[in-house]
Amino acid sequence: MTATEAVKTNGKANGANGSHQIGRSVVRLDAVDKVTGRAQYTADLHFPGMCYGMFLRSPYAHARITAIDTSEAEALPGVTAVITGATLSSDQAIVVEEEAHAARRVQTLFPSVGDKVKYHGAKIAAVAAVTREIAEEACERIKVEYELLPPVVDVQEAIKEGAVLVNDESTPADALEDGPFAGHPLHNIAGQNHRAEGDVEAGFAASYRVFEDTYIIPRAHQTYIEPQTTVADVSPDGKVTVWTSTQGHFAVRSNLANSLRIPLSKINVHGMTVGGGFGAKFGGIVDTYCVLLAQKARRPVKIAYTRHEEFLDARPAPGAVITVKTGVSEDGKLVARQAWALWDTGAGSGGCYATSRVKGVYNVEHFKMDAYDVNTNKPAPGAYRAPGAPQATFAGETQINRICSEMGWDPVEFRLTNMREGEQIAFKKTLQAVAERANWGKRQKGEHEGWGVAVGEWTNGAGPAGAVVSMHEDGKVRIFYGLMDLTGTDTTMAQIAAEVLGIPFEDVTVVRGDTDSAPFGTSSGGSVVTFSFGNAVKRAAEDARNRVLELAADHLEASIDDLELAGGKVTVKGNPEATVTLAQLGQMALRSRGGPIVGRGSFSSEPSATTIAAQIGKVKVDPETGQVRLTELYNSLDVGKALNPQSCEGQMEGGLVQGFSWGLMEQMRYAEDGRNWNAGLLDYRVPTALDFPDIETVLVEEPTKNGPYGVKGIGEPPIAPGVAALVSAVADATGVWINEAPMTPERVLSATRGAKA
Amino acid sequence: MRTLIELNVNNESYPIDVEGRTRLLDALRDKCLLTGAKEGCSTGDCGACTVHLDGQPVTSCLVLAASTVGHKIVTIEGVADGEELHPVQKAFMECGGLQCGICTPGMIMTSIAFLKENPSPTRDEIRDGLQGNICRCTGYDKIVDAVQAAALELDGKAGSKK
Repeated sequence: MTATEAVKTNGKANGANGSHQIGRSVVRLDAVDKVTGRAQYTADLHFPGMCYGMFLRSPYAHARITAIDTSEAEALPGVTAVITGATLSSDQAIVVEEEAHAARRVQTLFPSVGDKVKYHGAKIAAVAAVTREIAEEACERIKVEYELLPPVVDVQEAIKEGAVLVNDESTPADALEDGPFAGHPLHNIAGQNHRAEGDVEAGFAASYRVFEDTYIIPRAHQTYIEPQTTVADVSPDGKVTVWTSTQGHFAVRSNLANSLRIPLSKINVHGMTVGGGFGAKFGGIVDTYCVLLAQKARRPVKIAYTRHEEFLDARPAPGAVITVKTGVSEDGKLVARQAWALWDTGAGSGGCYATSRVKGVYNVEHFKMDAYDVNTNKPAPGAYRAPGAPQATFAGETQINRICSEMGWDPVEFRLTNMREGEQIAFKKTLQAVAERANWGKRQKGEHEGWGVAVGEWTNGAGPAGAVVSMHEDGKVRIFYGLMDLTGTDTTMAQIAAEVLGIPFEDVTVVRGDTDSAPFGTSSGGSVVTFSFGNAVKRAAEDARNRVLELAADHLEASIDDLELAGGKVTVKGNPEATVTLAQLGQMALRSRGGPIVGRGSFSSEPSATTIAAQIGKVKVDPETGQVRLTELYNSLDVGKALNPQSCEGQMEGGLVQGFSWGLMEQMRYAEDGRNWNAGLLDYRVPTALDFPDIETVLVEEPTKNGPYGVKGIGEPPIAPGVAALVSAVADATGVWINEAPMTPERVLSATRGAKA
Repeated sequence: MRTLIELNVNNESYPIDVEGRTRLLDALRDKCLLTGAKEGCSTGDCGACTVHLDGQPVTSCLVLAASTVGHKIVTIEGVADGEELHPVQKAFMECGGLQCGICTPGMIMTSIAFLKENPSPTRDEIRDGLQGNICRCTGYDKIVDAVQAAALELDGKAGSKK
């Protein structure tokens, strides 16, 4: 099927689709446990003798530690472990491998005496105690002396000559020849990425008009509602067992092995039900410390982050300052684009490569970018759903809307004119689908109202995954693998196995193994899951199907080619009397030469095709208060093939809200002294049901050849366009382009009042 | 100082020992071993720990356990009628009103109390009624669908009893 197809379940699950098990909105396998409180998250675990782990954190953003004294904490009754840099081996460090496309990072576990703390909230020590209250008191009893250092908070200050250095050993990067940061060596540079295609100078010279704008977007926190939590236990022979909230329990195992120098086979990780991850749960934030405390305490230890700690010391999305220069022809074509970007990577690095997304899904002959990871006195950032895409798309797509506004071009038409085309991609169809749903061509707006449109591109990754599909004696089926289900993917996998084996989806059970038992499974990040595990499960189910057909052929004395597998039985074509049920075959298999029916499937990596999310929002701005209210929202996404349409819609709507709310209200704020200003949900506002209107969702299906049934990975792309669409809608409503997100009432009010004055 | 108190949770009696500062959320999770109420923020902002106190939804992270003696507490574990799920639970399942599930118990407790106050709400009223519960996965659309579907189901049942 290559035609664009709009599917909208817009209602309850269990929509029938003939005898097919895919393409149906079935109820999630884990739904009953989640609506009854039975689903087990890591914080729900209680073990006999379990202790509680807690951290002592730096109250300063930049300081040198001159003394640490833990003696009073250690003397407190009920304290079972105290660890600091001094108690650990120097070859132990935090090693984290995030999604396949993200950088591998290394940092020390704790700063020792003589070392610097580089951000407010940095871990100095950890304790374990028999109660939370004692652990808290033990932390208070640790005495730390600091020599305060001036912090550097803003990336634009951090690159200047004479700036305070976050990493003392860093050397300046070469000066650029052009752009806003040209003319001097760049300081506090933690990484850089440069690309050039064509000749931008010639492109700008040949352009009819050239636009240049600088966009600023703050850090945002993923704000999964379940904070980072781990329980660890160490047996007397050194075997480490970990129960944790993670997107990838195999990644956690490998990170722990590398961080703590423990062989893989001595670590078993149980991935628990995950209360949201969005890129932040690949390990290294609490799990490593939890294992170290359990090793020392010789008792199980639980560490559950508080919400406050989440904001101080997790891995939020980096902020960025991105300057974009774009040349267009007189007839509305993109000719050249150039970007200069500073990504606020705090004490860490990684992310600036995402600047390439400024180019977008357009034919642009000339493109150049110079992008930098810049150190500041803030925690290192990490992945947040399509890492870097919302920030870069904010710059690239908002500027396209501004150019269209100034030139009198329709922003949808302009995009359609400039979009790339190709096999397995449906950029134009996807944008047209959302424009039709929003009635874009005939859109109306009243006073103080405005519309914004944007698209965001993404290509799912792929990773190694193994699966086993085996048959019970009653003909029903189980899947066994190492998939961490974040979004309902277990259910989709059951649908795939059911489809292959011609049985109802309800007859498939899914079992997630721990790392000791399951075949390897890649982490659930990078939109890899349905693409990668889907292929593995499909292959395993097909392997099982082959065994089923062999057994049936033997039993029915027919050739495999003459058999039909459907409705829970195998029948000889044209002879409905010659039939055998899967239940009979499941029994027969036990006594057969080949034994029980076990299908195996493995997948490593194959390329997918790029998809886009296209989104349109309408806002109303209160001219007295500057408050922006979203009144209408539309979105479309090329999903390749919707195996479970309701699940696809859930991903799209959830991602859309995260993107728009980053543009509307979300910002991690840091004071001049580098201290986090809004480390709680009262001050770091995420949207409630009241902040968003109903969402119109359109699924587009343009299959990719390597995905099971044509599936494209869809978890990440829906977050990409939201900031740009929201900011552009506010500009359409007010007539003022505000190039710094989010659109808080004070910012909108001051920008619109300034414009009128 | 620890004191023995007795909590009435889901119509059962739980004799537990608590300190004066013990929060209802901790009493439920650590002492009664009812872990359905979740801790998302500890400041009453996210609503994941919502339970009913004498029929009213409260964020149990802001309630002291000792203050609930003599009152009726209902948690997510107590809303189904035996094996029969509450219509709000069913609606969340069928409408896709949950993803990661961590906000779901609190969201359902708030929805049940809200629908008692307002049995036939508009979508805007539902959004208003759920504003104390944060969901980061769904974008809320399907949660509003679920509450609306549950309202129709409950209203139908109420009607048939008349």
